[in-house]
Amino acid sequence: MSVFRQMLSLRLRRDRWQLIVWGVVHFLLAYMVASAVHTTYGTALERANTIKVMMVTPAILVFRGTPQGGTAGDMMALLGLTFIALIVILQLTFLVVRNTRAEEERGQTETLASTAAGRLTPTFAVIALGAIASAIAAAALALGSLAGGLPAGGAWMFGFAIGSAGLAYAGIALFLAQLLPSGRSVNGWAATLGVLAYVVRGIGDAAGTPHPATLTLTPHWISWLSPIGWAQATRPWADGSTAWPLLPGVATFAVFTAAALVVQDRRDVGAGVFAERKSRATASASLGSPFGLALRLERGVLIGWMAGVLAGAVLLGSLSSVMIDQLTTAGAGVSNALDEIGGGGGGTMLQAFVNIGALFSGLLASAICVQGGMRLRQEEAASGADGVLSSAVSRTRWMLSFVAVPALGAAVALVLGGLLAGAVAGDRGGGFATWFWATVWELPAVLVFLGIVTLVFAVLPRATAGVGWAVFGLGAVFGLFGPLFGLPEWLRDLAPFAHTPAVALPDASFAGGWAMAALAVALVAAGVLLFRRRDTVPGE
Amino acid sequence: MTAVIEAHGLTKHFGRIHALDGLDLVVEQGEVHGYLGPNGAGKSTTIRILLGLARASGGAVSVFGADPWRQASALHSRISTIPGDVALWPNLSGGETIDLLVKLRGGDVRSKAYADARARLIEEFQFDPRKRARSYSKGNRQKVALIAAFAHPADLYVFDEPTSGLDPLMEAVFTRQVGLAAERGGTVLLSSHILSEVEKLCTRISILRGGKVVESGTMAELRHLTRTSFSFERDGLTDAQLAGIPGAHDVALAEGRVTFTVDSDQVAAALPALGALGVAGLQVAPPSLEELFLRHYGDALQPVEA
Repeated sequence: MSVFRQMLSLRLRRDRWQLIVWGVVHFLLAYMVASAVHTTYGTALERANTIKVMMVTPAILVFRGTPQGGTAGDMMALLGLTFIALIVILQLTFLVVRNTRAEEERGQTETLASTAAGRLTPTFAVIALGAIASAIAAAALALGSLAGGLPAGGAWMFGFAIGSAGLAYAGIALFLAQLLPSGRSVNGWAATLGVLAYVVRGIGDAAGTPHPATLTLTPHWISWLSPIGWAQATRPWADGSTAWPLLPGVATFAVFTAAALVVQDRRDVGAGVFAERKSRATASASLGSPFGLALRLERGVLIGWMAGVLAGAVLLGSLSSVMIDQLTTAGAGVSNALDEIGGGGGGTMLQAFVNIGALFSGLLASAICVQGGMRLRQEEAASGADGVLSSAVSRTRWMLSFVAVPALGAAVALVLGGLLAGAVAGDRGGGFATWFWATVWELPAVLVFLGIVTLVFAVLPRATAGVGWAVFGLGAVFGLFGPLFGLPEWLRDLAPFAHTPAVALPDASFAGGWAMAALAVALVAAGVLLFRRRDTVPGE
Repeated sequence: MTAVIEAHGLTKHFGRIHALDGLDLVVEQGEVHGYLGPNGAGKSTTIRILLGLARASGGAVSVFGADPWRQASALHSRISTIPGDVALWPNLSGGETIDLLVKLRGGDVRSKAYADARARLIEEFQFDPRKRARSYSKGNRQKVALIAAFAHPADLYVFDEPTSGLDPLMEAVFTRQVGLAAERGGTVLLSSHILSEVEKLCTRISILRGGKVVESGTMAELRHLTRTSFSFERDGLTDAQLAGIPGAHDVALAEGRVTFTVDSDQVAAALPALGALGVAGLQVAPPSLEELFLRHYGDALQPVEA
């Protein structure tokens, strides 16, 4: 028991700052969305009108959630629950992988397993850590909702609903960490499953049965396959709020945790269940330059995010024509409500939707850039950079190679995504050219993320990963919720995406796009110049 | 003789820590130069500066007459290195990594000479190039770096504790390869704390301590600075008789045997006295590098007084 306590306090000590920062982030997220609901949709009439429009535009429900009623709390659940749940799921996934397979890969698990801790006790400590982190997230979200002026009962239900979705994924990540040989692959698979949970419940909400009289919607049964769907089913602030959908999340955690322990009790430390296949004995012609190396190392990441961009583009493009159909068949009341929101008829609403869709692709593409830029630091930390720089490769060439790969990856993803979205949307869904150019013009803002990560790497190498994900997270929150929060103009202008040309709108200005492109180039150039002047810093 | 590596008054500070504190080092063309020192003496810092990975805080340093910080990539096509802690890319196979490292140094991996050398080294080191680097043990990771370093000839080899993790058979393979590299006219800087390895391979040695080179020379030159150790059976000899041995230091008794040391240039003077005493079971051990080493770090490692 005391060994377990030591193991747990080791984990808590290592992750204490992360847990604190995440707690603050969750509190602020809940608080800001709750406050925004009060300021933007202050009256029952405003809420009812908005919800009615959303109920007939499944394309919006995909990105928001299940309408659950007309109170401010219901609005909070509709707008914020699914996205915040996705964030908590990713947080828990990365937390578990960092403490299990990633450590095992580096040999730290072996060091621990050789002590009195044994093979299983450290895993029990990680299970406890996952439960603690979920509880912190749940409490922070509940307190944030309370601070935002929402009823207490619903606030706690909201927190625990999202916490149980996170807990379910802690179990899933723990299980995947038993099967796959590298921390990166576990992160990739678990994160994909997390996004899948978001998409599955999105389809469930879009295909659900609306009840306009009560402003509620019964999701399609497919939502029951998604832990985020379970969280929504608690309907935190609604009249029919119920706690039992918390159980499947906890049960998932229990089942996968038990399965993970069974597997771990039967396998060697350091081994995966899926054995490594033999690989090539010689390098291919493409693997012979820093660019070739960067491409090879980033291949998995590029393919994963690119698949995400393309899938999103198809989904959004096809939804846009569905949306038009529904708008044209909708009643007069809905059209009036649309006029209020869109400020100029259904056409404008569609154009706004194109912009949101393009932003979504942009966010995924900037993930390519953030993760790709962080590779610079990973290479340096693991001494791979020293190996390459000890050969006849200059610092500039090395760095530009590792910057060029994610930059090209993001460009290709956006061009292909734009082509697909435009082709699928067709004339009825906004037009090929609108979708294509709106998506491609996300590139300058996307590259600014790469520039920021590059510069941080040159100046504060050890902070690269932390700053990188923080910048990405802020970009995502500002992009998706910025208009909702009603932030001051200067603050919104700090976000790169705020300057993306709104191609779909009639009087789009391209100056912001060119400015972002110039900024990205300047940031990368500064990064290269500064990196040339410093020592390499291997080590964590 | 021309100097391949030349450093004068080299300093490197990390905040208030002085990793190098006025280091002088000269490595001549064709030498196998042993670079000795305990952990933390500054060996790896020196090597990082010589490779342009870190910039000297002060002093002058040149490799092939050029500044290693400014002309790093041009110099590196002539240099082959093995880092102290070999880092590999987990999802590349060993064979891929070897080819990649050679290509990055400007080697032609399609040439027959390279293919032959690579195949021979893989055979000698008993290495499986098709496994992913993730699953290699420390010794096997070391082999990747060794094979990549020797498969494409270089003018200068910089090795930072190259045999850590290798078994004695593989160490012998390494020794042979260093010999071949030297025969081809290559210069070798071999950082190590394995004294037998350095003694076997190196023509010149520099001993590093606290960021400075405290001793530098050939093995023969350095032996002059050391003492030869003697021991024989006491067999009832009196203390007065023992005190009469000229040049004897640190006379001690252990398990009925007398031990003492004599300055290596005074050995001839001590021998007649031993003959006169008619000592039995005499053993004379030449000075080892280990003794030299311990003498320089003796205060860090207090010997147990007899």
